[in-house]
Amino acid sequence: MAGSSPAPRRSHQWQSPQRSAVLGDILNDDRNSESRHRILLEAAKKEHDRVREEAERVYRDHLQKEEHAKLLAERKKEEERIRNEELLAAERFRLLALKEKKVEIPEIPPTPTAPEPVKKTAPASTTPGQTPTANGTNGTPASPPTLPPLKSGNIFGLPKPQATSQSTSLPSLTGLLAKTPAPTAPASQAPSTVAGGSSLFGANAQANGVKPPSVQDVATETTLDRHSVIHKNLKTLRKSLADQAKSNKALKDRMGDMRREIRKSVGQLTGGAPGVNRTQQSKITGLLREALANNVQSQLVDPSDYVIEPRPATGQNAGPLPSLFLYLLNIFSKATISQFINEAAARPETADPVGVCVAATFSEPDFHWRGAPLIDILLAKFRIVCPVLFGYRGSEKTEQGRARLGWWKDNGRWVPEQQHMDRMTGLGAGFAAISLRKFAMSKKQNPYPPRNYWSAMARIVNTPPADMSSTQCVVLKSMIQNYEIKFIEAYGNAALAALRLCLVEFPARAVDKTPAVHSLEVLGQLLRKDAGLVLG
Amino acid sequence: MADQANQANTPGVAPDSTPAAATATETAPDVHQDSNLVDNEYEVEVKLSDLQNDQESPLYSVSSFEQLGLPKPINDGLLAMNFKKPSKIQERALPLMLSNPPRNMIAQSQSGTGKTAAFVLTALSRVDLSKPTQPQALILAPSRELARQIQMVVQTIGQFCENLIVEAAIPGNISRTAGVKSSVVVGTPGTVMDLVRRRQFDVSQLKLLIIDEADNMLDQQGMGEQCVRVKSMLPPTIQILLFSATFPEKVMQYAERYAPNANQMKLKQQELTVKGISQMYMDCPDEREKYDILCKLYGLMTIGSSVIFVKTRESATEIQRRMEADGHKVSALHGAYEGANRDAVLDDFRSGRSKVLITTNVLARGIDVSSVSMVINYDIPMKGAGDREPDAETYLHRIGRTGRFGRVGVSISFVYDRKSFESLAKIADYYGIDLIQLSPDDWDATEKKVQDVIKSSRAKADYAPNVTSG
Repeated sequence: MAGSSPAPRRSHQWQSPQRSAVLGDILNDDRNSESRHRILLEAAKKEHDRVREEAERVYRDHLQKEEHAKLLAERKKEEERIRNEELLAAERFRLLALKEKKVEIPEIPPTPTAPEPVKKTAPASTTPGQTPTANGTNGTPASPPTLPPLKSGNIFGLPKPQATSQSTSLPSLTGLLAKTPAPTAPASQAPSTVAGGSSLFGANAQANGVKPPSVQDVATETTLDRHSVIHKNLKTLRKSLADQAKSNKALKDRMGDMRREIRKSVGQLTGGAPGVNRTQQSKITGLLREALANNVQSQLVDPSDYVIEPRPATGQNAGPLPSLFLYLLNIFSKATISQFINEAAARPETADPVGVCVAATFSEPDFHWRGAPLIDILLAKFRIVCPVLFGYRGSEKTEQGRARLGWWKDNGRWVPEQQHMDRMTGLGAGFAAISLRKFAMSKKQNPYPPRNYWSAMARIVNTPPADMSSTQCVVLKSMIQNYEIKFIEAYGNAALAALRLCLVEFPARAVDKTPAVHSLEVLGQLLRKDAGLVLG
Repeated sequence: MADQANQANTPGVAPDSTPAAATATETAPDVHQDSNLVDNEYEVEVKLSDLQNDQESPLYSVSSFEQLGLPKPINDGLLAMNFKKPSKIQERALPLMLSNPPRNMIAQSQSGTGKTAAFVLTALSRVDLSKPTQPQALILAPSRELARQIQMVVQTIGQFCENLIVEAAIPGNISRTAGVKSSVVVGTPGTVMDLVRRRQFDVSQLKLLIIDEADNMLDQQGMGEQCVRVKSMLPPTIQILLFSATFPEKVMQYAERYAPNANQMKLKQQELTVKGISQMYMDCPDEREKYDILCKLYGLMTIGSSVIFVKTRESATEIQRRMEADGHKVSALHGAYEGANRDAVLDDFRSGRSKVLITTNVLARGIDVSSVSMVINYDIPMKGAGDREPDAETYLHRIGRTGRFGRVGVSISFVYDRKSFESLAKIADYYGIDLIQLSPDDWDATEKKVQDVIKSSRAKADYAPNVTSG
């Protein structure tokens, strides 16, 4: 540490008075005394300590600076990573959305009534600029674009006008369900609205959820009627099978056993590791194949009676199918819905394996008709047992309202509230289990893709506050609980915005703060507590 | 909703259509502008009698939990569990149990009507959460499974309560060094007694003693003596709550001494059975055919989870083998398993990894798996030396594993010889129930019958074959 030029400095030092004092000290008489020696040693030691301390301080400072720099670098790296992941997620989301859109195309039917709306779907979804919540927007990493619509409460569309349309559709349903004397009104009503509107059920919702309201409900109405018609046709089919069995012994011998086997297999499905339900799945598939082979010679019937939209006569199984096969699909659908009502009502998580089984069964190409799944059979039943998923509303305090909400009667009396709400819980979970299945890794076609979940959710949260019912809240809650992750996987940021709407804003808007409304908020708290999902 | 209710009219009153329409237009004008519906229809309000038709039901109640004055965190916990309204026992017993000065309570209510939640709510309301490790409420149950189950209920209802610690005082669960360090303790009497004796459980500030399945616990032939000793160790001012679905007369007298000056809620013998459970019996040609018939039952109706009660471990094992071969996922739980193994078996069933539970009487009481929709008495429950007489209480507790909280459930009891038939007949007679007969000869017909029974679970008069007469 000595200077580069020791000599001059030393001379300088010699001149300093202090130094000369030091020199004086050194040259002092007692310079060789022990005490002197000690003092000097002491001083040296002090100096040494001082230097060492200083060095250590500097070293610590240096370390801290280094640490800080490292943290900064790491933070940058993390931020970079998050940015990349967001980009990736956005990209993937866009890709998924695109894939789903592609799925739409084959459904375009040539017949004049139904096809038009479907065609509409495609263009609507492919033009992303139109709507703020469109897939493209969701895809971008920054969430702000999705948030403003959320705040204004119209992520799913414009609530008010839709409400209007909904209430229009209600009377017709009433006519169907409760057999109240209002058939003329709906009949005259329906055509006029149809003329006004142009699109079909779900068209807008599927793409992006934002839709011109009037169009949407008209669409809903047409399709809903069709669901009920299918439901009736299925009853006729069941009767026809019973009649056939009277004259066809082979059929009679087999039919009951097949029905019971399917019911039992659906009941045996459990959660757990993948493959845990392989036996049950192959049993169900096997029975359906057996029915398709039709060795027992059940009559052939035209499946058109059991699908929502007419289908062009192309693809596999384009002709009539064995009635036993359709009957068993009906039994299978019935068994799954009954499982939701009886089991998932008490423990909603049990719906999931059943949903997997539904997806696996209806996506089986051999069971398709004219290139598409026959899942409308199941949906027709869903529409009857849980109408709020399909946009129906009603007051729980009125006879007609209850009928519209799918509140069951038992021996002419409404079943107790607890039982009704239980059933709705199971059905909500069941609907999510069916509509939120991921087919990204599968070659098969998803028989009921997530856009249906989105639109069902939209139909509930777009209810004007005064028309909200506990039934809707219960269904909404159970279709979210345990499915928040699958929903977010499917829709990314848009799902978060939707969840906030469902669990924060929708309950906050409620006029009547029933326990059911409150339980939506509690679900929000649970997600925060258990999953760290803060919806604000 | 409220608006619509105001518009609506009760059916009896002739409505003046003009005002009704006017109200409607006021409340939702845009509806009528935009739609071309002729809206001269008004909705008919649900009849009061219909709303109250289940007034006699143990689940009927008018108030909400909020009205019962429960703190918000507890109310949120209930909502998270999908409890929206108090059941009758909760609505009636809670104000009595929560009133001050504290008074003892003896409460009887049918299986699956919310007794556990009722006393758990009381415990949570009485505990001072600022002293989280000081034991303040003690809940006693007859088995480790039941104790663990109650512990879970306390934790779930209390999940939004900060600083709530709940421990289960069951064998092998409390650390010997630390001792009991929780405000709520759920345990079996033997273990609790040991812990207090070893000074690992400070009972000095206990405010509440709750005994679940009290008739079983206080029965002198069973754990009665232990319960008396536990009580003698506790502060004399402690509030005592006794709960059960059944209180035979002799136990009742004893209970009144155990919990003096208690408020009481009792049921008549005929009110004990849960209406939502369709009770049937299967007429089996002989004992060996019971296995095959059992497997066939699962195709007759939609079943969530099911519990099969058998008499011996051997038949439990054999049934398990057969049912697994038929594609079922089965758990078997009986006295051959111990401690943690028993927990694991039951957890499989609770979590839904297995959906069939085969068990002996160890699990007849209290166990609540809400998705159980069928209970099978593979053997009719008997008691006394050499299984002399039918055990009516056990029958009731067994079938009470289904039909939880107003859900529908079925119970099917197997009879195959004169003794089993007569025993079941006696039980049916005791409670005044009509059992519906099923036969294994024509499964199409049996399926139809079962479906009809379930559909009209309330119109039992149509299915009158009383077991005593036929």
